Amino acid sequence: MDIKNYEDLSGLEIDTLKEIGSIGTGNAATALSQLIGKEVRITLPEVRIMGYNEAIEWIGGPEAITAGVLSQLGGEINGIMLSVQQMDFINLVLSNVLGRSVTDFIQLQEMQISTLVEVGNIMISTFINALSGLADISIKLTVPAFAVDMQGAILTVPMAAYGGQSDYIMTIGGNFICDNRQVPCRLLLSPDIRSLNFLLRKLGVMDE
Amino acid sequence: MKMAGDGEKLITYALGSCIGICLYEPQRKLAALIHIMLPLNMETGRKNAYKYADTGIRTTLREMEMKGACRAAINAKIAGGARMFEVSGGSLGNIGQRNSESVHQILRMEKIRLLWEDVGGTIARTMEFDSATGNGTIRSYGHPEVKF
Repeated sequence: MDIKNYEDLSGLEIDTLKEIGSIGTGNAATALSQLIGKEVRITLPEVRIMGYNEAIEWIGGPEAITAGVLSQLGGEINGIMLSVQQMDFINLVLSNVLGRSVTDFIQLQEMQISTLVEVGNIMISTFINALSGLADISIKLTVPAFAVDMQGAILTVPMAAYGGQSDYIMTIGGNFICDNRQVPCRLLLSPDIRSLNFLLRKLGVMDE
Repeated sequence: MKMAGDGEKLITYALGSCIGICLYEPQRKLAALIHIMLPLNMETGRKNAYKYADTGIRTTLREMEMKGACRAAINAKIAGGARMFEVSGGSLGNIGQRNSESVHQILRMEKIRLLWEDVGGTIARTMEFDSATGNGTIRSYGHPEVKF
């Protein structure tokens, strides 16, 4: 039976999405490790389906400033994936790749921004590769877009894109561990409902 | 949607492509602030009226009237409707613009005067609205505060 919105997901279906989240973030940590040339591990990620307000609180409130890298999913699945990059994460990347960190988002210049877009792109693509491999579906990603602004406004983008269908979003959160420090990893995936049904069927977890 | 009188202040945070609509009835000093996310309500159950420009504005106007507001005196000030990401193609990039067009159209149809607007662009806005005066402020990251 097809689900009509995220509230209808069964326990088994949510567990399957969690498993995808776990494999996807594991791959993202490996990719990040190769990029910055250091060992990066990731804590067991938490995959949850959240309402908009809950998701905003989860990443730290609507007015906090953050960077976001966004790609649209096409091919056999439609949706949006967003990598939320908070200051700690940005400095983990910038200090290791470019050798210099920043104290405010306003200091980000072209070179730093293109590095962050690339990191976001790598995280999103490795995650999506894991997903498409598991489900045996082909997913295309658009060229990533970048923005620095209030978290609330950035998070609204995937919500508004499919907001007519559901008020829920899939959040994937874990902590990268590098140099004995923990840095939050925040990914958000919002497939449209038709695609979510298709995905669950392909994974073989949906009741026929 | 939040409503206030007696000089209370209303606030809505981080409007991106969403639009904040301040409705104000100056005689009774009754203020309402709606935060809409999408232009038109096409839900079957129509559960979340305030999420959409059309049902959000109309429901709020009715509630203001029930609180004793004089419909003809109600005016509007709006902000938001930005484009947060430069994405090529698709409908994703222009949700802000469609929200703005819809809000304008509904206000026109309901004969509500639009006194002030700050819509479009690429920045998020936090909107604060004072029921004592019908004025407010817009806060954005990396830009000076705007009074309205």
